[in-house]
Amino acid sequence: MTQKEQKQIFEEWLSLHKALIFKIVRAYAFTVTGQDDLFQEIIIQVWHSIRAFRRESSVTTWLYRISLNTAIKWTKKEQKHYQSEAFDGLQHILQESRIQTDERLIWLYEEIYKLDEIDRSITLLMLDGFSYKEMASILGITESNVGVKINRIKKQLISKSKKYDHHGI
Amino acid sequence: MEFEELRKIWDAQDNQPLYAINEKAMYNLILSKKKQAHHITNISELLLIFVNIGSGILILILNLFKQSGNISLYVLSAWMLGSALYTLVRRIQRMKGDQQFDRSISGDLSHAISIASYQVRISQIMRWNILPIAVLTFLGLLEGGKPIWIALIVLLFFALTYYAGGWEHNIYKKKKRELEILQKKLGNEG
Repeated sequence: MTQKEQKQIFEEWLSLHKALIFKIVRAYAFTVTGQDDLFQEIIIQVWHSIRAFRRESSVTTWLYRISLNTAIKWTKKEQKHYQSEAFDGLQHILQESRIQTDERLIWLYEEIYKLDEIDRSITLLMLDGFSYKEMASILGITESNVGVKINRIKKQLISKSKKYDHHGI
Repeated sequence: MEFEELRKIWDAQDNQPLYAINEKAMYNLILSKKKQAHHITNISELLLIFVNIGSGILILILNLFKQSGNISLYVLSAWMLGSALYTLVRRIQRMKGDQQFDRSISGDLSHAISIASYQVRISQIMRWNILPIAVLTFLGLLEGGKPIWIALIVLLFFALTYYAGGWEHNIYKKKKRELEILQKKLGNEG
């Protein structure tokens, strides 16, 4: 594959699936600088993954796998290094959209962020409508394990959302 | 809110992207990172192989050239060449093993754990390897008629290297433990 072809595929994937990457970035990184850093890590991994893509799964599944895997590992790194403002001076790639975001969406992201790295990935896949089979394939665990985790997370989210409704925010 | 309502809120963001991308900065980043594609394991392995081969051959040639008959230095040379061969064999085994993991997050984690285990093992072995090299060098210097203070300074240098090796080894161990915790979380029922 030539570099031109690789760039073409990369541009196509990014234009069609950037929302997927944004969701993962937003769910795993709390600060704007962190979101930019995680986005950079993900796009580097996506770029390198293009040559390894064998069309055995859909592009969405592939990108989810690459992005979630990068985000889970990044979270570990972030916990260690992130307190400093070491990223000042670097050129930012992500610019926050100025569109007014739904308050309930902000609340949902906050609740997702409170989960551990693995539960966060399952929640994102669940909210994006992946089947148990697809989730099991992306995560590399059994469908029954996916089911158990989803039931627990769903109950937790619904219960918290009721409290959120109750406070009338 | 019920779950379906949460999904609707979630889906609505697909029509309003959360961010805009600075494409020029993004491609600059990709180009700069392409040059850093070599993995740290790869670099440390190659470094170990070349340093051991280089030092082993150099010691052997110097010893032969001087016709000193310094047995410790001959043993040291053989030991270093043996260490290079050992690292090379382990490197080949590691590269063959790289193909065995499936393309899931669990598979990626298993792969990362396998690399981390390899780093833990090789860093420990190379740390232990400092001991015979230090002893042989010390004996070789004394046998070659060098003053004891020079031999002691060299020994001190090896002691510092051994200490730094322990620090590196602990970093790999910690990294491996973190990955294992992640995999445990992923595999836990519930």
